[in-house]
Amino acid sequence: MVVPAPVKLVTLGLGSCIGLVVFDSYAKIAGMAHIMLPDSRGLQGSEKVGKFADTAVPALIEEMLKKGATRPRIKAKIAGGAQMFSLPGASAEFLTVGAKNVRETKMKLARMGIALVAADTGGNKGRTIEFSTGNWMLKVKTLGKGISEI
Amino acid sequence: MADMSSFNTLQLDAIREVGNIGTGNAATALSGLLSRMIHMDVPKTELVSIYELGEHYGDPLQIVGAVFVRSTGGFGCSLIFIQNEEDADVMVELLLKQQFGTHIPIDEIPDEMKDSALSEVGNIVLSSFLNAINILLGTQHQISVPGVAHDMLSSILDVVASIYGQMGETALLVNTELSVDGLEAGRKISGHIILIPDPDALELLLKRLKVM
Repeated sequence: MVVPAPVKLVTLGLGSCIGLVVFDSYAKIAGMAHIMLPDSRGLQGSEKVGKFADTAVPALIEEMLKKGATRPRIKAKIAGGAQMFSLPGASAEFLTVGAKNVRETKMKLARMGIALVAADTGGNKGRTIEFSTGNWMLKVKTLGKGISEI
Repeated sequence: MADMSSFNTLQLDAIREVGNIGTGNAATALSGLLSRMIHMDVPKTELVSIYELGEHYGDPLQIVGAVFVRSTGGFGCSLIFIQNEEDADVMVELLLKQQFGTHIPIDEIPDEMKDSALSEVGNIVLSSFLNAINILLGTQHQISVPGVAHDMLSSILDVVASIYGQMGETALLVNTELSVDGLEAGRKISGHIILIPDPDALELLLKRLKVM
């Protein structure tokens, strides 16, 4: 979803999911995606491209370009990708999905030549995020750690 | 079996019945642990869009205490025992009072002891739940060490979304609520058990119960 400024983009309670914000402060547009999983392999034809890092990043960038952004001006910020539970000795792949989301999102941005200018990822705490086109800053609220702006 | 939205009513009822048997055993175990009456509601089998999970149990930003375990073996599944933070605190007080014989206010209990008590409650509730299911199905199982988290409800439920998101857009949840009676001033505390069966476990269950 890409919208013109002024706007506030909010995502509540991200755990292992990633909140990806992209913006072009010259064209005054910004977009956000809520990424749940790293890759869409094995799920061909899923309509929800925003769900997967490998499809969400290109879709969001394409929409930015269509609405007047240029690739070198687009900047990205990400937050999320926590591991909510750790079970000593148990190997459950989905528990580390947060780290995989972060890795895949960063890789996809790099491949598309999009500058990642700020990131608050990992850890074991959920995050609520709010991006404002007033100052192009991403406010990240973490339980027990307060609010930071990146 | 990939798409969770393809179950028929008979199959959903069978899955719910399994939840019912698990909950009964969990309630008995919790009652023994706390020496109190425990009420259980009738479990529900629900199909929920993975995009709406965050709001499904109320305010997505409410702080909850959650205990998570994985079970492997015949009936592979994940289980979460989830409580409002305030209810979790009372539960911890009740357990410690039961074990030490004196009431210690929650503010005076160190965080590690709180987590360890909460994980003990969750472990007993969830492993009794699982034992009953595995006896019913005649399967063997191993259960992981419990993991504890205190966080926003919606962040906790990301775990569920990431499990079902790999298969489609729908989560199948068996939900049930246990509540503790006999607290002062008519207070009631409760906890939700969420059962998240692995897809092949569901297939096994439906075959054993002869509805597939």
